[in-house]
This record gives sequence, structure tokens and C-alpha cells, in this order.
Amino acid sequence: MMSRLPQQENEIINRSIELEFTWNGKPYTGYEGDTIASALAASGVEVFSRSMKYHRPRGIMTANHWDPGLAVQVDDEPNVRSGSRRLEANTTVSAQNVWPSLEHDLGTLNKVVGRFISSGFYYKTFMRPRFFWNHIYQRVLRKFAPGGKIHWQTPSTSTYDKRYVHPDVLIAGGGPAGMSAAISAADQGASVLLVEMESGLGGHLRWGDTSEISNMKSLIKEIENRENIEVLTDSTVTGRYDHNWVSVMQRSHSITRERLIKARVGTLVVAPGLIERPYIFKGNDIPGVMLSGAVRRLINLWAVKPGQRAVVFTANPEGDSAIRDLQKAGVEVAEVVDARKGQRIVAAVGKKRVKSVELSDGRSIDADLVVVAAGWTAPTSLLNMAGDKPEYDQKAARYFPKELPDDVLATGGIVGNGDFNAICEHGNETGKIAANRALKLRHQRQTSTAWARNPNTPSPERIEDLRNSLVREEHPECYYSTNQGFVDFSEDVKYSDLVQAAQEGFDSIELMKRYTTATMGPAQGKLETVNAAAVLANSIGTPLAEIGTTIWRPPFAPITLGALAGRIFEPTRRSALQDWHEENGAVPLLAGQWVRPDHYGDANAEALNVRNNVGIIDVTPLGKIELQGKDVSKLLDQVYTNRWESLQIGKVRYGVMVEEDGVISDDGVTGRLDDDRWLMTTTSSGAGAVWEKLEDWLQTSSNDWDVCITPVTGGLTSINVAGPNSRSLLEKLVNDVDLSSESFPYFSVREGTVAEVENCIIWRIGFTGELSYEIHVPSGYALHVWESLLLAGKDLGCAPFGVEAQRILRLEKGHFIVGQDTDGLTKAPTVGLNNLVKLDKDDMVGLPELADSFTNDRLPVLVAVQTDDTKVVPEEAAQILNGNSNEILGRVTSSRMSPTLKRSICLAQVAPEISQPESKITILLATGERVPATVLSGHAHFDPSGSRQNV
Amino acid sequence: MKQSRYKYSALKLLKHGLTHGDWPRMWSSNELNSSYDVIIIGGGVHGLATAYYLAQNHGITNVAVLDKGYLGGGGSGRNTAIVRSNYLTPEGVAFYDRSLTLYNEMAHDLNLNVMFSRRGHLTLAHTDSALRTMHWRAEVNKLQGIDSSVIDPSEVKKEAPSLDVSSNTRYPILGALFHPPGGIIRHDAVVWGYARAADHLGVHLHQQTEVLDILCEGGEQSNGKGPGGKVTGVRTNKGDISAPIVVNCTAGWSSLISNMVGVDLPITTHPLQAAVTEPCKTFLPTVVVSGSLHVYVSQTDRGELVFGASVDPVGTYRINGTLEFTEELAGHVLELMPGIAEMRLLRQWAGLCDMTPDYSPVMGFTSVEGFLVDVGWGTYGFKAGPVSGETMAETIATGKTAELIQSFNIERFSTGDLVGEKGAAAVGH
Amino acid sequence: MIVVPCPNCGPRSSSDLRNCGEVVDRPNPKNATIEEWRSYLYLRENLASWVKETWYCRTGCRKYFTIERNTATNEIRGQ
Repeated sequence: MMSRLPQQENEIINRSIELEFTWNGKPYTGYEGDTIASALAASGVEVFSRSMKYHRPRGIMTANHWDPGLAVQVDDEPNVRSGSRRLEANTTVSAQNVWPSLEHDLGTLNKVVGRFISSGFYYKTFMRPRFFWNHIYQRVLRKFAPGGKIHWQTPSTSTYDKRYVHPDVLIAGGGPAGMSAAISAADQGASVLLVEMESGLGGHLRWGDTSEISNMKSLIKEIENRENIEVLTDSTVTGRYDHNWVSVMQRSHSITRERLIKARVGTLVVAPGLIERPYIFKGNDIPGVMLSGAVRRLINLWAVKPGQRAVVFTANPEGDSAIRDLQKAGVEVAEVVDARKGQRIVAAVGKKRVKSVELSDGRSIDADLVVVAAGWTAPTSLLNMAGDKPEYDQKAARYFPKELPDDVLATGGIVGNGDFNAICEHGNETGKIAANRALKLRHQRQTSTAWARNPNTPSPERIEDLRNSLVREEHPECYYSTNQGFVDFSEDVKYSDLVQAAQEGFDSIELMKRYTTATMGPAQGKLETVNAAAVLANSIGTPLAEIGTTIWRPPFAPITLGALAGRIFEPTRRSALQDWHEENGAVPLLAGQWVRPDHYGDANAEALNVRNNVGIIDVTPLGKIELQGKDVSKLLDQVYTNRWESLQIGKVRYGVMVEEDGVISDDGVTGRLDDDRWLMTTTSSGAGAVWEKLEDWLQTSSNDWDVCITPVTGGLTSINVAGPNSRSLLEKLVNDVDLSSESFPYFSVREGTVAEVENCIIWRIGFTGELSYEIHVPSGYALHVWESLLLAGKDLGCAPFGVEAQRILRLEKGHFIVGQDTDGLTKAPTVGLNNLVKLDKDDMVGLPELADSFTNDRLPVLVAVQTDDTKVVPEEAAQILNGNSNEILGRVTSSRMSPTLKRSICLAQVAPEISQPESKITILLATGERVPATVLSGHAHFDPSGSRQNV
Repeated sequence: MKQSRYKYSALKLLKHGLTHGDWPRMWSSNELNSSYDVIIIGGGVHGLATAYYLAQNHGITNVAVLDKGYLGGGGSGRNTAIVRSNYLTPEGVAFYDRSLTLYNEMAHDLNLNVMFSRRGHLTLAHTDSALRTMHWRAEVNKLQGIDSSVIDPSEVKKEAPSLDVSSNTRYPILGALFHPPGGIIRHDAVVWGYARAADHLGVHLHQQTEVLDILCEGGEQSNGKGPGGKVTGVRTNKGDISAPIVVNCTAGWSSLISNMVGVDLPITTHPLQAAVTEPCKTFLPTVVVSGSLHVYVSQTDRGELVFGASVDPVGTYRINGTLEFTEELAGHVLELMPGIAEMRLLRQWAGLCDMTPDYSPVMGFTSVEGFLVDVGWGTYGFKAGPVSGETMAETIATGKTAELIQSFNIERFSTGDLVGEKGAAAVGH
Repeated sequence: MIVVPCPNCGPRSSSDLRNCGEVVDRPNPKNATIEEWRSYLYLRENLASWVKETWYCRTGCRKYFTIERNTATNEIRGQ
């Protein structure tokens, strides 16, 4: 029976603040400073959970984050580690994975069949009858899934955040070694971030005796006196990634539930101390079996009496200290079983609480508490992530670091033992070296930029690592006393399961892990790995040192998805006109990065208005790149398939880009504004890639060319004015450019003033197939120009049109869209670019493949297609088949009902044998129906001669 | 030597439970012979399946499978165990459909429950163009008799209620390609199943046996390697072995192994990362994939969410994993399922993927006689394990490239006849 | 997140840059046979050791530059 003790000298609870909460629906009270588990234990709760497979009752074992039996549900949050989570007022806490209740759990029936569900049992059965696997067995298995409930129905209301830091030295672990390292590193001038997983600095000193507490307080004071040390408690260093990119999960922030801190660290100091290891014996999971650290923490930190009568199994001084703590707390120590004298515990007996203990000498002793101090596991995770392969030292019965990179140092219990002074001295020396290396790196980084913000001081002299090693205290190898008991408590894996796995051939630690699931649970091997390796070593007769361990992977402790995601920041791009569009009824369309007006209510009417009157559309997302310099045409010759040098000032030209493999990647119009000034347009989605491509060819192939590249996509708002009345409309607003067909013919560019806005670029092109002008306006004036167009165009029938109307119009005209009518394999001949590919150039992107593609008669051909039934609109991606067979000869790439032609129209990629005009083809609709269709001559469904745009 | 196989069943489980009798080894431990008829490098699903089908279908049992680590320790044990056949090209569909059939039958063929959970597979479309590609895949799939169709957001919600299908999200779900036969499987069990079955047919499995060099003669290089030559055996850390046929069934190291015979490959190696959460009560019944968001997710029967992504942008042989993978992953998962922010990421890991220019493998004979490859599996090697084994075994046994893998020949990178999966397979899980 | 040394901008997190893969010599497109060209397009050494590769300073100075990176360890040296 556990209960609250009178005030303990160094307790961390504040008895003046009571916190109310509920546990499984009943009201409970704890104190500020309690963990959920300590508050429950103080109230006499023994059983916290049921185990995963056998649903055995489980209680406190380690009383910290790694405790396998203490996962609970707290409000909406599953799998909360109640051993480390601080109690908060008014929370609803409940047991997980129990039905109907923690006290009476039906899952315990599993223990009846336990002898049959040994390692890998599911691989060997459930195979027959086959139907049952999918429909019965699997559902039953899923019912027994462990863990809490996630309330996926409603979005999380918690806030999460991130922070970037750049400390010279980051120290993982705020015990005496870590604190000493922080102090000495700070004294060298380094900025230090000291991270401690527990709620306060001090490490094991926190639950120590009076002198240990006073040592701790003086170190903490030293830390508080240094401005260049930042301390984070309740925070865990979760990963060390390449180039010392270190993640810290902070739980102590006032606003956010969890904050992910990303640190670019000069030197990482790993000082996590040691994790106490469980011991394998029969009944070692019964509530009342606790590790020595657990009882010391319960008594000293939270004033919880862990039991009434104890048997203590001790192999080390910490176990001996636990005896003193127990006696101080009024727990009767019935027996001390000293591992150093060869004594062993054989079994704990009891159901929901230990009742008695059996010893290796045959005695049975009544006790409700078994305290185990069997040894230590070095939490080498961060060192493993840094490339270290720790070595087992049989004399000390634990692993030690072997070889660390220059920017990672280890100190404290993970490297050896010692008294307070020895530990502090090692930490102190480690901090000095860490600071030295970090400051050298800082200096080197400051001097390595071309613009050389050189520090005035020279690089610090390198301090050699001459630290005196901490001693490796001898410790008996205490892993198991018999061949019974649990190795992995979270996964319910027993000693016998591992033996069986080894016998079946799973005789390496990795295979064993995969077959038995040992070490795959919530603690990820922190408690179990070395014990599992010891069992394996014993069962195959190999020294433990040769077994190795499973690989420790990040994160060191689990992180919420919320913290990893942080505030989700996925912005969209909006043109200067997007607000206007939305205020005027536009339905927004997400197109890549951009939000665009899909339509303003009736896309067909918008399209017809362009054909009959005049429409204006916001085409700002079109990529726009300004090119200046005398060699621009050379660069264009390199990246486009056609030639550019001959382009006159005031003219524009269409160009297609391919990659080195000849596949079409982008297209657009580029105009020559002046002798050495050009404006290129690209597809909306390709704008970024084309910019990079231009830089690439400019820099890597020809760095003597005089070209300056400036992207201006957002700076210029682009408005297409299209329709038979477009010239009349512009004439009202443009005074300094002669818009007549003779002086401003098709495919020309002029600079002028539109609606009194100077420096607009106007080019005459025709994606819609109508007389049309594209105006590029400095974005600050875009709304003025847009509204002026509408106002001036009132009597001309001017109306805005959206992306959908534009798609209809361009399809009627037969203009293909790169990425829709082409795909990842489409080459130039497919889209009929014969005249736009100049194979006689000395060089251009993809030249040999372009040349080869024109000798290939098997390439598909892009053709205009019309279904014989004018009303049938095939789906985009509908397959074109060879008659009634299932042989695929092509596919529809674009299709719409044309409001102009009042019939369905398509573009399609087809095999060459059916690409000739008048070819009869068969289209498979999604309904399964096959409909006949006919190939047209050329791509245009409407106005193939171009009579409407050449006016 | 063919041995009678100890048959697993519920009855056996009962018997062992009652008697506490020992289970026999799943596979035996053999001495390394000085020669074999066929040496397979790589003890993952591909290598083991090739060995099994060589023995089972063609009676070729003097075969060794070599692995530098433990069985299934590479891509086979690191993937997210998703299987499906809804590919884009007819040749892709036919190939993966055969694989799915073999997976379906595997528990019975190999007498080991590989726990194939045929739970349906959703590929979400967040853009018009993605939806168009889904339609394209659905149409090609249906023509090949594959159960695959495009469904609308309300139907998506029915299949996976935790998905946010509202239209006011940054990446709205416009629809999905739904593939009911797709699902997940216990990847390790597949490895063990093939290993056990191959072993019982007489194949030798050699773990911790690293190939240091491949011995060749007659090739155009001075050491006898290179095109025009032939292989004579391999050099391992446990000694030399002679063999007329050596098959490269590795992933992550395929360039390095092929370099040992002087065959260049169109491959760059990139890490592919995955992660798993702590378990919670099951709520996600299907496999969900979002190409635009570079994420795929399924929930195991144990309640863990298993996540994967697309390959890392920087090629490397280092598989430590990155923090940014978990950050981007979490952000995108919460875009899809905003209610699960409190779930915790428990473990992240990475494997190596050999990426080819056309997102299709390189299989079959090479310019060096006796050296065959089954490589370049990108992010989809596990799905293809069984059919790759079957077709590679046929190719080795008959000396003729099996029909299903003819389009995956290495010559296509000089003739330019690339396979057309490029568009759809960038995050094709 | 590795640190990549841009010659202009200094050490930057790799997400600020784009990796363009190992440096491959581009044959003269005028004279190259299609087979030579496709070797350049597709075949890669893909070594697990020091590799000369190109990076693009995407969010910084926009410079393309080459460094040597050990693809087995991600160590970086020189420019």
C-alpha cells in the first residue's frame, strides 16, 4: 500500500497548492510539483495499466518517463507518460487499453491462452480458413490494439510552435556533469543551452542526501549567475542529426503545449547520466516491483511511501542508498539481497500487488515491495546518431562510448563513475573543450564567406582533449536470475520468447527484435535492449559483447505530430487583383502556389463574351523574367529550341523548352523590348524552374555571357484583354502607342501608358484565338488599370473572365498546355513543333535527343479530336482503344463542351497510325461505353486560319 | 537437399503450447560451399524470392543467397509494407498485378501467415492535374481488369473518416483513386517465409557474408571485367566461391556491386525515410497516399500509424534520417487529418532507394555474361518482390528474359525506350 | 539538415540550397553519338565516397557551385 509521507526535507511538491483531477471517473487530489503518477500513488493507486498482450496489471516500476506501466489518457491526449508528466488541475485522467475497467479487464483472458501465444504465434496460424483472416481474425487483432484514444473527429485545439537557436554548446542533461560543463563552457565565452528532461536541474542529486542537495544548489546558483547559459527543463534532446543539427522538445513553454527547438550546435555535450535497468525474474512485472531509482524518487521528491515491507535486491551503492531512504520513510526492510555476494531474487508472488518474494536460497519472505538495483544502461542514443558504436565492458556491466566525432563530447555517468568532485571535474574539462571547439568553428564560419565579415580576433588555439577518464566501477552482471519473467514490459515479451526465437533461427539481435517485437514499444529499448541482448547471448552461448544492441533511432523520446508540424505555414500566392476577384463573385481555384479566379458564375458566358465582345483576365501567375545584357539571345538560343538573334526590337516570339533528354518542359512568349532588354514569360508552374535553368546555363556553360536575370512575376500584374472589341477598348486608355494593326501587328510588343500608368508592357498575342493584348502593369497600379478597363469597356461589353473560360477558349483554338497535353515523356515532334526546332545550332539543351526524336516514327501525336456524337464529352484521360479490343492507342488529354461550336472538342495523344486527319478512332468513356470519334487536321477546332486574331 | 518442411498450423501451436516443445529452426545454417550454380547477392525479398522460385519452379537448388548483414535487413525490413497494382502503364499494371496475386496466395504457398491485410488503397488528388492522372490510371487499370476507380470527396470520407475533405484547406481533397485490392502486409514475414521455403528446398542462406569482389574474365577492362566478359564467381569475407551465374538483387548498393563487374547503371541512391507513431485505438481503415503532400500513411493492427514520404532530395548512402523529414511529414499528415496532433512520433528510420530515370527497375541480362541484375527499384521494390523473384528465376533458368520484365531491360537507356511510369510514380505508394 | 558552404553566402542549411547531383561531363552535343549522350543523361558513378557535386544557392545568391561531399558520411570539403 502506498501513501503520502509527512514532509520530506527536499521534496519538490508544494503542499499549499492542491490540484484536483479525476482518475477513471473518480475525484483525486495532488499537489503542485507532483507527477500524475506520484499523485495517484500518494492516493493509494497501485494498478495504472494493463499490459499489451496478457493484460496483466502494471504499476510503478521506474517512476520516470520510461516507466512502461504508466501510460495513461489525459483528456484528449493518449499515451501520456504519467511517470514524468506534471499534474495539472482539472484534468481527466484514465487508464488505457482496458475493457470494461482497469480493475476487471476481460483481456486477462489472454493470459489463459498465454502459453500458446509465444513468439511469432500469429505467423504460424490464422491461415485457415482463408476467409477468416480478412474478416474475423484481423478484426479481433485490431480490437486488441494497445494505446489510448485519439480524438480524430475534431481538430486539435492545442498550440504548437518552433524555435531556432544557434548555441555554441548544447548540453543534453542537467546533472552535475552537465551543469559543470555548462559553467566552464560559459566561462570560455561560449553561448550555452542546457537541456534537462526532468522538471528541475540536478540529475540524481535531486533525490540524494543533504550534502548532495547542497552541492546541487551551489551548481544551480553558478548557472543562474551566468547570462550566457540558457536552461530548459522538462525538455528533451530528441535527436542529433548530421552537422550537429539538434532537436529539442520543450514541454515547459508557457503558451505552447510542446515546442520543437531546432539548434545548429557548435559542440554537443552528451551528459544524460544512466538509465536504471530492470532485472529478469519470475513476477518481475507485478505492481510493487520497483527499481531503486523509483523508490528514491517517490520518497524524496514527492514524499510517497512506496510500500510497507520491502525486500531490496542491490548490486550497487545506489541500491544501498535506497535502503536508507526506505528506512527513513518508515518502510520495513525485511531483507537485503546483495548481488555482490551472489544472492539473487528468484520470484515475486502476487496478483495486483506483490505479496511475497522467493530468494535463491529457497526462502520466501512476505513483502509488498521489491526494490531492484541491478545496474545501468547507458543511454547512448545521441552518440549512436553521431556515428558511435558503443562497446560493452563486462567488468562494469554496461556499454561505453567508443569513438565520437569532433563536435560531440560525452561526460558524466555515460562515460564512467566517480564521486561528486570527480564528475564535476570531468564535466568542467569537457565544457572547456566543447567551448574551444565551438568557438573555433564559429570563427571559421565567420571567415568563410566571400564578403568576409572577418572577426577581429584570431581563431582560438585548439585545446587538446587531455581529460582524465572517469573510472569504470566494477559492477556484477545482473540481467536475469532464472529463465522466467519479462524482458520487455511494454511488449509483454518474456525470457522464454527470446529463447524460442533464437532456437528458431532468429539468433541475431535485429532478427530477434523483429520476430519477438522486444524493444519496439514506447521505451524503444531504453529499459530492455541490454537485457534482451543478455538473454540472447546466454541462449546461443555467445559473449554479450559480441551480440551488439539494436540500433537506437531518433527521437530519443516521442514527439507529438503537432510539435513537429509547428504552426503550419503553407501560404498561397495572390495577385494584386485577387481581392477584387473575390469581392466580385469569383470562385477561387487553387493552382499550384496561386489562388486564381476559376469563374465568376458562368464560364461559358464568359467565354462567349470574349468571342463576341471583349473580356479581361488576370494572368499574373504567368512566370515573367526580365533579361538584360548584350548576350540574351545567346542564352535564349541555348534554352529554347528555336532561334532568337534575329528577333527585332518590338517583336515577340513563341518558344518551347526541352530538357537534356528532349522532353518538353515549358513554353511561353518572349519579347524584345530594346536592344539588350527582353521579357520572357513561362508557364505558371514552371516559373521557378525556368529561372533556375537560365541561371544554370548562364553560370555553368558560359560565364562570359553578358546577361542579367531578374524575375518579375509578382512585380508585374498581367492582364489579358481579349475579344473583337479589345483594340477599341485599349484605344480609350492608351494614348502613346499606335494600336492599329499596321503599326502594332500580331506578335509585337510596345511599351506605353495604360490608364495613365506609365511603363506598361503591352504585347499582342492570342492564346484565346481572338484579337488580344496582354498588358503587364506595375503591380501597385494593377487595380486602377483593371477597374479602368472595366469602366471604359462598359459600352463594349467588357467583362472579366476566369481560368475555366480561358481553358475553353484555348482548347477551341487548339493551343496545348505543357503538363496537361504533354507528359513526362512527350518530345517535340508529338506536339508538331517541326518549325520551332532548329537542329542546326551548335548547342542547345537536349540537342542530340531533339535530333533523334525527329527520326523516331513511333512517337505519339497530339491531334484535335471530335466525337461523332457532338454531345458526348469524354473525360480528360479517357483511353483511346483499337476498336473493340483493349489495346491502348492513346488518350484524351483535354476536353470540353465548346460554347462557341456547341459541340464537344478534345485534344488527344494518339499512336502515329491513327493520327492522320479523318482517322476514325474509338474512345472509352468512364461508363465503359465506347464512342466513335474523328481526328481533325491541325490542332484548332475553331478558326484554324487565325482570321480572328490577325485583324 | 530437399527436406520435409515442418508445417505450421493452429493445431501445432496448441501442441507446442501444451508440451512446451521446441519449434524447429525456420532455416538452417550451412557451411559456405566452394561453388554454386547460382549466387544471389542480397538476402531481401527479391533475392530470397528468386532463390525460392529457382528451386520451386525450375528445380535449380544449388543456389546460395549472400547477405552482408541479416536476412531482410535492407529495404525489405525498412519499407512501409504497402502493396498495390494500380500503376499507370499497361506493362506496370500487368507486372504488379502478378505480384499482388502471389502475395494473396503467399500464406498458403509458403505456410506462413504474412498477414496480408487487403484493406483498400486511396491515392488522394489535390489538384485538377492530379485528378486527371488518377483518371488516367483508373482507365488503364480497368482495361487490365484491376479494381480501381476515381471516387469523390464524400466517398473518400466514407473510406477514411479521419480525413478532412472540406474545401477550405490549403490542399483540398478533390477526389481519390480507390484501389480495393491494395493493402499492407507484414514485410518481415514475407522475408522469413521465402527464406524458410527456399531453405527447405535446399538453397543455402549465408548471412554476415559480404561480397568484396566479383570475379570475371574476358571483359574489355584489363582485369577481365567489363562488357564482353563473363563472371566466374565472387570473393566474400568468408572466402571465394565460384559460380557461372551471379545475380545482383541488392538495393542501396546496386551501383557498387555492379561496379565490381564493370557494368554501369543508370542509378542514383537516395534515402527514403519512414516513421511510426505510438499506438492508439484504430481509426484509419485504409492506406492513404497523397502525392502532392509527399506522404503515405496506414495504421497497423497494433494501432501504430506508419508513415512514409518521397525520397530525400539529396543523394547519399547515409541513412541516419533527418529532422526535416519528420517536420514536413507531420505538417502534411495534419493537413490531411487535423485531429491527430496529439499522436506522438515514436521512431524514424531510413532505407536506401536506387532511383532510375524512369521510375522503373532494371532487370535481366547485362553486357557481362552470367551477371544479371534485379535493381533500380526506387521506392516500390517490396511490392514487386514476389513477381521479380518469379521472373528472374525464369530468366535465369531458361536463358531468356521473361515476358513480364522485357520492358525493364538495361538497353532502354541507350535506345531511349524509357518506361512511362515517370508521371505517376514520384510518390507512388 | 547538413550545412553547405556557399562561396558567397557562407555556410547555409541545405534546405536553402538545391542539390543538383554529381558533376557529369557534358559531351559536345554537336558531335556526340546518341549513345554517348544517353550515357551522360542516365549513367552515374553513384559512389559511396567523395563525390564532386553541384549545388544551387536557391534562396541566397543564386550561384551554382561545386563542392566535394562524402556520400557515405555527408562530410563536406573544399570548394
